[in-house]
Amino acid sequence: MSHYEAPIREPLVLGDKTYHDITEDIAKPIEGKANKNWYIAFYISLAAMLWGFGCIFYTIGTGIGVWGLSKNIGWAWDITNFVWWVGIGHAGTLISAVLLLFRQKWRMAINRSAEAMTIFAVFQAGLFPIIHMGRPWNGYWVLPIPNTYGSLWVNFNSPLLWDVFAISTYLSVSLVFWWTGLLPDFAMIRDRAVKPFQKKIYSLISFGWSGRAKDWQRFEEVSLVLAGLATPLVLSVHTIVSFDFATSVNPGWHSTIFPPYFVAGAIFSGFAMVQTLLGIMRKVTNLEAYITRLHIEYMNIVIILTGGIVAVAYATEFFIAWYTGSPYEYYTYLSVGAATGPYWWAFYSLLLFNIAIPQLLWIKKIRRSFVWSFIISIAINIGMWFERFDIIAIVLSKGHLPSTWWRFEPTFVDVGIFIGTIGFFFVLFLLYARTFPVIAQAEVKTILKSSGEFYKIRRDEEGIPTKPEIKVKKAKGKSTKKDKE
Amino acid sequence: MASNKKYWKSYQELENDTVVQNVANNEFVQDIPTDEFLGNKETLESSSTTRRDFLKYIGFTTAAATVAACEGPVNKSIPYVVKPNDIIAGVADWYATSMADGYDFANILVKTREGRPIQIMPNKDAKGSTTARVQASVLSLYDEKLRLKEPSKAKKKITWADAHNEIGTALTQLKEANKEVVLLTGTMASPSTDKIISEFIAAYPNVKHVVYDAISEYGAVEAFNAMYGVRALPSYKLGDAKAIVSFGADFLGDWHGGFEVEYAEGRKPENGEMSYHVQFESNMSLTGANADKRVVVKPSDQVYALLNLYKALTGTNVPSKATPVDAEIKKVAQVLKKAGKDAVVVTGINDKNAQLITLAINKVLQSEIIDTVNTIHTRQGDDMAVQQLVSNMKSGNVGGLITLNVDPAFTLPNASEFTGALDKVSLKVAMSTEFNSTVEAMDYALPISHYLESWGDTQFRAGQYGLMQPTIQLLFNTAQAQDILLKWSGSDSNYYNYLKTYWSDSVITDTSWNKVLHDGFYHTGVTDAPEAKDIDVASVASALAGSVKGSKYELSLYTTAGLGDGKQANNPWLQEFPDPITRASWDNYLSISMADANELGFKNPVRDNGAIDGNYATLKVNGVTLENVPVMIQPGQAKGSIGLSLGYGRTVGLKEEMQVGVNAYPFYKDFNNFQFDVSIEKTSGWHQFACTQVQKTIAGRHDILKVTTLKEYLTVDPKDHHHGWNKPAYVSYDHNEVEANSIDLWDEHNREMGHHFKLSIDLNTCTGCGACVVACHAENNVPVVGKKEVRIGRDMHWLRIDRYYSSEVETREDAKEQGLSRAEMYRALETEAENPEVTFQPMMCQHCNHAPCETVCPVAATTHGRQGQNQMTYNRCVGTRYCANNCPYRVRRFNWFNYSNNDEFDYNMNSDYGKMVLNPDVVVRSRGVMEKCSFCIQSTQATILQAKKEGRAVRTNEFSTACSSACSTGALVFGDVNNKEDAVTPLVTDKRAYGVLDYLQTKPNVIYQVKVRNTNEA
Repeated sequence: MSHYEAPIREPLVLGDKTYHDITEDIAKPIEGKANKNWYIAFYISLAAMLWGFGCIFYTIGTGIGVWGLSKNIGWAWDITNFVWWVGIGHAGTLISAVLLLFRQKWRMAINRSAEAMTIFAVFQAGLFPIIHMGRPWNGYWVLPIPNTYGSLWVNFNSPLLWDVFAISTYLSVSLVFWWTGLLPDFAMIRDRAVKPFQKKIYSLISFGWSGRAKDWQRFEEVSLVLAGLATPLVLSVHTIVSFDFATSVNPGWHSTIFPPYFVAGAIFSGFAMVQTLLGIMRKVTNLEAYITRLHIEYMNIVIILTGGIVAVAYATEFFIAWYTGSPYEYYTYLSVGAATGPYWWAFYSLLLFNIAIPQLLWIKKIRRSFVWSFIISIAINIGMWFERFDIIAIVLSKGHLPSTWWRFEPTFVDVGIFIGTIGFFFVLFLLYARTFPVIAQAEVKTILKSSGEFYKIRRDEEGIPTKPEIKVKKAKGKSTKKDKE
Repeated sequence: MASNKKYWKSYQELENDTVVQNVANNEFVQDIPTDEFLGNKETLESSSTTRRDFLKYIGFTTAAATVAACEGPVNKSIPYVVKPNDIIAGVADWYATSMADGYDFANILVKTREGRPIQIMPNKDAKGSTTARVQASVLSLYDEKLRLKEPSKAKKKITWADAHNEIGTALTQLKEANKEVVLLTGTMASPSTDKIISEFIAAYPNVKHVVYDAISEYGAVEAFNAMYGVRALPSYKLGDAKAIVSFGADFLGDWHGGFEVEYAEGRKPENGEMSYHVQFESNMSLTGANADKRVVVKPSDQVYALLNLYKALTGTNVPSKATPVDAEIKKVAQVLKKAGKDAVVVTGINDKNAQLITLAINKVLQSEIIDTVNTIHTRQGDDMAVQQLVSNMKSGNVGGLITLNVDPAFTLPNASEFTGALDKVSLKVAMSTEFNSTVEAMDYALPISHYLESWGDTQFRAGQYGLMQPTIQLLFNTAQAQDILLKWSGSDSNYYNYLKTYWSDSVITDTSWNKVLHDGFYHTGVTDAPEAKDIDVASVASALAGSVKGSKYELSLYTTAGLGDGKQANNPWLQEFPDPITRASWDNYLSISMADANELGFKNPVRDNGAIDGNYATLKVNGVTLENVPVMIQPGQAKGSIGLSLGYGRTVGLKEEMQVGVNAYPFYKDFNNFQFDVSIEKTSGWHQFACTQVQKTIAGRHDILKVTTLKEYLTVDPKDHHHGWNKPAYVSYDHNEVEANSIDLWDEHNREMGHHFKLSIDLNTCTGCGACVVACHAENNVPVVGKKEVRIGRDMHWLRIDRYYSSEVETREDAKEQGLSRAEMYRALETEAENPEVTFQPMMCQHCNHAPCETVCPVAATTHGRQGQNQMTYNRCVGTRYCANNCPYRVRRFNWFNYSNNDEFDYNMNSDYGKMVLNPDVVVRSRGVMEKCSFCIQSTQATILQAKKEGRAVRTNEFSTACSSACSTGALVFGDVNNKEDAVTPLVTDKRAYGVLDYLQTKPNVIYQVKVRNTNEA
């Protein structure tokens, strides 16, 4: 009540929204009918997904030989895509967990979708380690399942095994965290639902949320605990993914800076993907009032920061490759050898998309432009894919023994599976956009007073806070009270 | 005598207690309630199981049982009813025998399992050595596609009896008409067969025996005959030579049958000296690749250079011309003079005069290296007689032609003339093991047994006899040519008895037939040396100089280590075998120098999938045109010369996959391997090569491949910090530079107990021949994947031989001297020199003690063995390929597809006959799993078990792998270093020993010995 907010702070919710408006806005896509654009996007994604599944079944039915791999290059697009998708996932966790701990209110408009993106991206990522196996039907052997074969056990030395644990932990924690946050929103939809079937489903998935003060209290506590659990995952998952490379003996992979560099890269690419998705979503689902220029700018600032870390890592890698003077290091993915070798185009694509283009974000106008942000985010997505491709393909193409130098060319199956996962991702995301509350409305309502334009005007005009609404949301006013910064 | 005795079990029973009675009465407590069920009509009627239901159940169970019975493959295994005495299932039998297919001759040991030959190894007691082709010939035995299975006449099946009758009648008629009948055979080097043929000729005096070698060494045979009066080839004791000068003689390849064993003996720097070997040649041959000094010179200049050498040595003037290499010739003359009787000059020019000149030079040198006593009898072809035969056929003077395992309709340079003239021959009989163009063109096709199914004898060198014995029952309805000839001659004897009698009468003097049969050889020794006649060098030289007509481009025809004369072109192992020099498989190609390629616009681009393409050329030689010849740029090819290998381009009868390459035989005019009057024209299109190695140089990574000179080897401390030629790797530890081997991240394995296997590879004596590659194929059931897959880098060879060319800039110091920037330096290091030095490096799983592959496998499918091996558990592998990525040697091979029982890979693992060659001790891998060299664990375990069974320790040097057994030169030595006596033990600590990439501290169990070149000029 004694709330004061600096007038220079930009509002996080635009338009003269009331609490009810928010409810309406969020519930609209779920309760209404999908528009034509949604169907077009959905069918294109579905077609891509089915094509990808076809390619996956073809691979499993025939053999990994239908990909472009060879005796000297045992991984290429498979693990590239894996790391790419895992990296994308990181932004979701960062936004929902780390920003929650840091009490960054602006995350509220985007965390739901970012987390959804995380989970869907991890689905895609998880596909690759399974299908890249020569015998995926035996894939469960990587799990430490007790068996009757005596000492037959997994190899705890293997980074791939760490991956198994890292990814599965990540997926489960993210999923629980996401679902917890969804409970009050599901309950809101449940309460509004008129169709019995819909009501049944939403009551089922809202886990009996009643909206009592106790519910809210537990909700807040669980959110904090899960945020605390998820935060180390932001660092650990990609650290472990980077161990796949860093613990190996290949020049270019065997690098001690990989863990922080991979984490920064993951956040970098994740935020780019959030930008891409929200850029589309805010238009398609009319959420312009909630996903504002300010959100875009904040995310762009994170992108500049993490992009900067990545750029420094690149420079370090390049410098070390040069500085060692080793004939083996001369051909790593960031080296003169790579720049002048057969993969020069991949080398320069990496620098262009990941280093050069994101620098545009230093310009405030571009940073706050929806269109530019969208374009740059696409560029970063491409660039980060190239980063992983370069690390894997260029390094493997120049092995220790020159007699094993080789090249990689993808087949239609490689391409098909990648496109298929993009399709699969969007199928999930589009279904999500139609059935899930895409914005954490319960949370957004908590910041309406301090950030909603309408309320600010009323405050300025009347000098008093509006009462009735505060009453409604009093129970969870906890976090708003301390919100002074 | 009925007894009234009553037995009781207790007092109670005796006293007739009621309790006991009750118990006895109630022994079966309940009656089965049959009455209740059947008697009560009501319940029966109300039961839901009606008669119809009952029938339904019966029907269903019957149907289900029937359907279930349909499933499940039936694998018939038929037990021995009467077990053969000498076959124990699971135990291999070895037979000593000989191979002689007209081009390849070898004393061999054949490993059989359950009556099937599955592997061939050199019979080292008989000084036998094997090549890739000899090793692979066991698979040709099972070639059910190409082999003749039934006698046929005009492509219709007939019985043997009918065939004998009809041919016998025809022969008699021709004898009566006194029409010439020609028996055309390859070189058989078989004394008993020679005798049978002479008896056949005695029975039919109109028969003429013509020996035809597809790849001719007629010039050398005739020259030796002219000078020494023996129609044979001289041998060379290269092991004792101090200086070897070769003019295009590929004596580590197929020249005179190969001298790699002798050569390697003279290449051991431990003795303090090594032979100095200079090779003048136009193509890059295996021999040239091993030479200390290789001088490129085009074919015509090779001839002049040879003459100039004679001039330089003797001072006599002979007609010749100046060549660009005359300075080298002068130097070489000095070297030869210095080495004197320890020097030898050889030439591969198939020209009597050129061969005479070399014989004259060796005589001038008083060379003791040339061995005129133990002459070689494996090339007896008579080119003149063959050409005479064709012209006689054309003029209709030949009434009958009987061929035996030769394919003139394909291999003759004028093959079309030959087939055209066949119309004028009335009796046309082809005796052949396999279907080929000649069989197709003849009336009668008589299937001949494979050498592994045959009896026979051999005499490869004077006084060195060998026996051939069957190692398997006849697979098809075949017969031996000797039996057929005996039959036609009217003899009742079969060849086996004939052979036995012949040997006990004429060959064996001091031992038994059984002993010789067991050993496979019998050496009598020869003492009488033929006298060298004087020849008129001046006239020979002028004839030689006159026969050469140099032209802008000159063609040099050669044979490859893989296909030789092309007889085994349907053998997938050989097709997939990468050429030692170009490392291309499934192809032959026109090799051309970089300079000429630039001039004519030929390129070998590397495609994005890693494969190499090449332009096509139209090649015109002496009026014969061949289109679409793929071109490969070959470092070390003399400018103005091109090379093309014979033996490829066969199509008749071959599987479609094997119909690769172009046929160069039409260019083989007058059986001369040098052809002048050549024109090359670039045509459109790209040829897709299947090369297993793309990068040609070592790119400055000299810790992989260490080479030094004899002088340095003898004088410099190998570990010297600056000049050492075998410096250990240094790493930084605690801010100090320490030897990599002195620190360790891991715990050392305890090797005190049991065996610890190591393999030593001597880069000096390894000639790169590739016999080990095929031996490994056979031993370990390595799949063949075909050209398309090899092209994109998916060959499955567990053992490969990397070939590296030197670059103009070899080291950092060179680059610094030339003032190159770093980028320029690496570009230069990557680029091969125009006439590079060549080094071969056999590469297989290094069985690292600290293996990078072992730590990364998530399912622990690859683990470390107690005996030092890095082991691969196929059953456990899920196929993540991480191990392959983390293997710095890239020796792991992934099963991208199912390579067995798959029509897409229709090689030997897709047919019942082809599968007979599989080694039952080694599993055939399924798709999706990784595989690699196992150090032949099945064979080391068998050795251990054998010793255990016999209650003894494993003997010294008893362990072996397929590659080490196959290696003729002893470059690969395998053994147990826990046995101090084993040959490998001192090699591990030899001053030449090093581990590849030792700075990684993988601590491999494969040890390489530094290559030493002799730059001392004798």
